[in-house]
Amino acid sequence: MKPLAEHIRAITPREAFRPVVMFVPWIVCVLVALGMHTLAPLVVDDYWVNVLRRIGVFIVAAVSLNIVNGFTGQFSMGHAGFMAIGAYIGGGVTYYGSLMLHGSVGDPSFQTHGVLLMLGGVAAAGCVAAGAGYVVGLPSLRLRGDYLAIVTLGFGEIIRVLLELTTKQLYTREEVTLGALFKLPLNGPTGFERIPGYASVFWIFLFASITCLIAYRVKQSSSGRAFLSIREDEIAARAMGVNLTKYKVRAFVLAAFFGGVAGALYAHTGVNPSPTDAGFQRSFDIIIMVVLGGLGSISGSVLAAIILIALPELLRDLQQYRLIVYALLLIIMMLVRPQGLFGVREIWDFFGKKNRPTSKEESNP
Amino acid sequence: MADFFQTLIATIAVGSLYALVALGYTLVYGILKFINFAHSDIFVLGAWTTFAGSTVFLTKFGYEPEQSPWWLGVCVLLLAIFVCGLTGYLIERFAYRPLRKAPRLNVLITAIGVSLLLQNVGQLPGLALVRGPERVVTKPADQLTDREKSTNPEIAGDTATIREPGEALATLPFGSSPKRAPTILPDAVLNETVVASGTSKGGAKRGVIVLDQAIELVPDRGYRLEIARTIDGQPRRESLNLAVEPGKYEAGVELATQPRRNPADLDGARYTLVRDPLVPIRLLDVLIVASSLVLMAGLQVLVFRTKLGSAMRAVSFNVDTASLMGINVNFVISFTFVLGTALAAAAAFLYAMKYPSLQQPASGVWVLLGLKAFVAAVVGGIGNVRGAVLGGFLIAGIEFFGARYISTELRDVYVFGLLIVVLLVRPNGLLGSAVREKV
Amino acid sequence: MSEFALDAQGIGISFGGLKAVQDFSMRVPAGGLYGLIGPNGAGKTTAFNLLTGVYSPQSGQVHVAGQRTDTLRPHEIAKAGLSRTFQNIRLMGELSVLDNVLLASHMRGRHSIWRTILRTPRFVAQELAMKRRAMEVLNVFALDRLADEQAKGLPYGDQRRLEICRALATEPKVLLLDEPAAGMNPSEKKTLAKSIQRVREMFNVTILLIEHDMGLVMDICEKITVLDHGVTIAVGTPAEIQANPKVIEAYLGEPGEAATSPAQDAGGAA
Repeated sequence: MKPLAEHIRAITPREAFRPVVMFVPWIVCVLVALGMHTLAPLVVDDYWVNVLRRIGVFIVAAVSLNIVNGFTGQFSMGHAGFMAIGAYIGGGVTYYGSLMLHGSVGDPSFQTHGVLLMLGGVAAAGCVAAGAGYVVGLPSLRLRGDYLAIVTLGFGEIIRVLLELTTKQLYTREEVTLGALFKLPLNGPTGFERIPGYASVFWIFLFASITCLIAYRVKQSSSGRAFLSIREDEIAARAMGVNLTKYKVRAFVLAAFFGGVAGALYAHTGVNPSPTDAGFQRSFDIIIMVVLGGLGSISGSVLAAIILIALPELLRDLQQYRLIVYALLLIIMMLVRPQGLFGVREIWDFFGKKNRPTSKEESNP
Repeated sequence: MADFFQTLIATIAVGSLYALVALGYTLVYGILKFINFAHSDIFVLGAWTTFAGSTVFLTKFGYEPEQSPWWLGVCVLLLAIFVCGLTGYLIERFAYRPLRKAPRLNVLITAIGVSLLLQNVGQLPGLALVRGPERVVTKPADQLTDREKSTNPEIAGDTATIREPGEALATLPFGSSPKRAPTILPDAVLNETVVASGTSKGGAKRGVIVLDQAIELVPDRGYRLEIARTIDGQPRRESLNLAVEPGKYEAGVELATQPRRNPADLDGARYTLVRDPLVPIRLLDVLIVASSLVLMAGLQVLVFRTKLGSAMRAVSFNVDTASLMGINVNFVISFTFVLGTALAAAAAFLYAMKYPSLQQPASGVWVLLGLKAFVAAVVGGIGNVRGAVLGGFLIAGIEFFGARYISTELRDVYVFGLLIVVLLVRPNGLLGSAVREKV
Repeated sequence: MSEFALDAQGIGISFGGLKAVQDFSMRVPAGGLYGLIGPNGAGKTTAFNLLTGVYSPQSGQVHVAGQRTDTLRPHEIAKAGLSRTFQNIRLMGELSVLDNVLLASHMRGRHSIWRTILRTPRFVAQELAMKRRAMEVLNVFALDRLADEQAKGLPYGDQRRLEICRALATEPKVLLLDEPAAGMNPSEKKTLAKSIQRVREMFNVTILLIEHDMGLVMDICEKITVLDHGVTIAVGTPAEIQANPKVIEAYLGEPGEAATSPAQDAGGAA
């Protein structure tokens, strides 16, 4: 039988070049974002537009956590740590960038540049968080299951403590220099205030849909199968030639990158990121979304993020029972349907042919 | 040097509490192979039960905390153990048992769910168990506010009497505000020195005693006056701090006490001048360490010397084989669970005595505390009873010595740093043994 | 350089005080079909685990197609051309049959994360080629019609066959089969024996097989190694092994103690 290399050589460039597959999804992402941006203010009031922004941020967070917890089965409980890193880096770039370039923060005349700064901040946040993800991913090579959970939980707590120890003020225009920034003037325990809310519905849903697209493409690829195989059976995966080190770290880095992106977007939604955002409570919120949606299901995470953020808004009188309901949902889910809403599948798998754990996106021969 | 020993004492006292909680983690892990995330919440339940139980008793029977009878501590401890043990049993029975054959990740998630559930149920506004004295307000009837009118005031002529129920001192669930647990265990500094005692000869000013003997006060040590006097025929004891420079003082000299708003007239009072020790050893700490050691020793005997203990070890080794050998696996697992929660309850009781300010049940402080105990179990080698004890002391040591000599703010960082280092160097903990997966 | 496809020299490991496998040596020429037998607990699977790097040998050396492998990590050994099936089936249950096989061809391709995200022509070509090859491999065991089923939903025999498909998809030079016939009925066993021989030709692969079914082993293996208590007690052709008194003693226990034949004993103990 022919080896794989020969099979690859036998494929003509015409067969392999599929512009529709390559480009159209990106355009769809932009259209989704544009559509949300124009429609949302027409349909709902400002309050719900804000809720929508939060939903978008948590879609990014939950989908990214799904890469490591769901696909790879490495139970990380420190995702809020990556988000917080992203929030502070992204917020820092916008805040101190605006101060140094324009002299004030949040000036409407600086809006366009401000948004560019935010995009730069988002990129920087993703990269720094990815670096942190690499560092956290390394112990995952030696630790399994519960141990890893605790170490990552500890990571989030360490980030929280370190953020509390940053210089307890935000510099003004006069005080700020590049050198002074090394003192990390991030306002200590009070949290990073006064970051302008540049992340509009458009930007948030652009990033959310791109995150989903990338996560889906990764899932439907060799890397994705390698991730899933680690989750299913590490020993068999190794025997089939999967480099555990490489793929575990890759999963952590990817997840951390988008976790950082989520954090940077979060910082620009008019909230006040604070060290407690790195703590385990926030991590638990994201974990609940991933588990309820289904470990490994991207559409599940999206749906769970929508439900878990919108529901408490609808039932605001029952705020104090929110977490009780979540907790019960989690327990009952594990007892009745441990794989979550959709398991490893996507929502559309349930409407198409039966028994198709992974639908083939584009490369049916 | 004094600092060092003080830190050491704190390490031993808190370390033994960590060790007790860590034992609970380790017992459950040893037998079911998963982290019982809800264990820290059982601990919280124990601390709050201690608070509620002792508050109810003291209020109902009108005792002051200091005069509480010796058996009250024992009763409250047993109450905490009962409540926690029952909760632990219910959790095991209804949340964990159905998942015994499920992947470990599912059980871990369930445990997180149980933990969230306990936290958030615990901080719901509760029904009052006991209330403080009723509040009675009397005011002219025409000045009642709408809210006051709705409480059905008794109106007699022009005046209205409004009776409001007293403040709820303890509730069930526990509510979302911090409370202070009454200290019902005896406490005293054991190694303080009595420098002098006598009767104040009466001075011109209030808040001053007049020595009836010569004394010497050495520098850098605290002094305290224990005063016993009779006010309106009632004996009264109080303790005052001295506000004088070190040095030699002859009889007849006036010694001023720490100024306060309404200084006491100390004429003719019996006084005892007490010097604080360099390193105070508190009775409470001794009680904590002693009871922890007794519990640990008891556990050691139970696990390694009794039939039930060997059943526990057999189940921990292999559930299926153990059940084939005629061991009632369900009973052994439930028992282990209840045992772990009972140890957590005992630790929580002692903790509430040492640190009476209790945060609300869902506070992050508790989770961190539980995590530290868990880290202790992991560092010592989870599943290993002696390892948990070693880990408890080690974690407390690194936390307290780090906080004392490096930086207080980083104390949580040391603990998790130690965890990461230990796991990277010895993934199975210091005393743990490697488990091979069968292929 | 060794001319053997699989060349293990004096490998061994002990767990605690137990010498699970000692001084295990085996040379399989390219294209050979060898067998490894022994009573329960003789250390056969441990020997496989040593060869595939699940455990690192504490002594000795292993070469696969001339490349030294005992110092490599499991996935590197797989890449060097040593693939295996598992005694207790270890499929990726949640994944589809096809995905299980695709996973195995994973290391023969290149997987840049950028190409994955951008879906470049090179990525598409590779996925397409992997899929075609996987379907061909599945076709050998007539599993291609089940390609979209979840692996855990397959009947037992199909799961065993899928394990072999998966191992073959790694493009191995040497294939280690750990009790491939366990739990199969006689007619299935016969088909399996034929398939094994067919696979050897089609994939040009060297096969080493652990099996308790003596009929199967004696029928298809060219040479057999017998392990008992971690020690190699005999090596030879099927005829030699059947006549070897040490082998009979290992299977029957002390002389005169039991009266079952090796084949019966093994069949019952699988």
